[in-house]
Amino acid sequence: MSKAPLHVLTVCGVGMGSSLMLKMTAEEALRALNVDAQVEATDVSTARSMTPDVVIGQGMHTQEVSDLAPIVVTVSDFLDREGLQETLQQELAAQGWLP
Amino acid sequence: MTIVDAATHPPVQNWPDAVRAAAQLLVDMGSAASSYPQACVDVVHEHGPYIVLTPGLALVHARPETGGVRMGVAVLRLDRPVHFGHETNDPVDLLVAFSSPDHQAHVETLSHLARALGAGLAERLRAAESVGSLRQTVKEVLDAD
Repeated sequence: MSKAPLHVLTVCGVGMGSSLMLKMTAEEALRALNVDAQVEATDVSTARSMTPDVVIGQGMHTQEVSDLAPIVVTVSDFLDREGLQETLQQELAAQGWLP
Repeated sequence: MTIVDAATHPPVQNWPDAVRAAAQLLVDMGSAASSYPQACVDVVHEHGPYIVLTPGLALVHARPETGGVRMGVAVLRLDRPVHFGHETNDPVDLLVAFSSPDHQAHVETLSHLARALGAGLAERLRAAESVGSLRQTVKEVLDAD
């Protein structure tokens, strides 16, 4: 695993409500995985100018930023911590970012 | 200090009516301007039904610049659910609307809300037997700190 914290973006349309809820779910999931991460909530257009390691959002938004990060995760239920944790575990392991 | 309110609503025709009715509660309690309900509808027209965060629940909101006055949260429970056109989370019977005066004031309130939703708040709101107990439930959650 790299030394710098994982840079994670949660995205939505406005960048202040839904993405914030998702940020909290993502922080819990990453904590459960023991991953040192910095999670930021933002809107899709701001996200385009950033270079995160991971992007998480609903399909209608992740498809707009599908090439923004090595890992792009689509979720439909923003409160499903266990589901997100499972997906992140698989994706991070596939990138060699988990032991 | 977050102002809160809650209500139930007789059947509405469609999701824009439901969104407007939820945001109107914020206007009525003085936490949003009269422009805010339509701004909340426009967000969905512009960005899609992503505000339907989880099955059955929509987080109604728009940018503070479009009419957020104070930090407020209003819960609207529909007698008959509406469809937003969301692939997995329709139909929606709970609308949680919030307004914020800026891009920071809502962060703490929403973190309470996220935690409460994770701990079964939606089920409690659906089970509330009166508007009074609906309102009480929302109050308890958001005054928790």
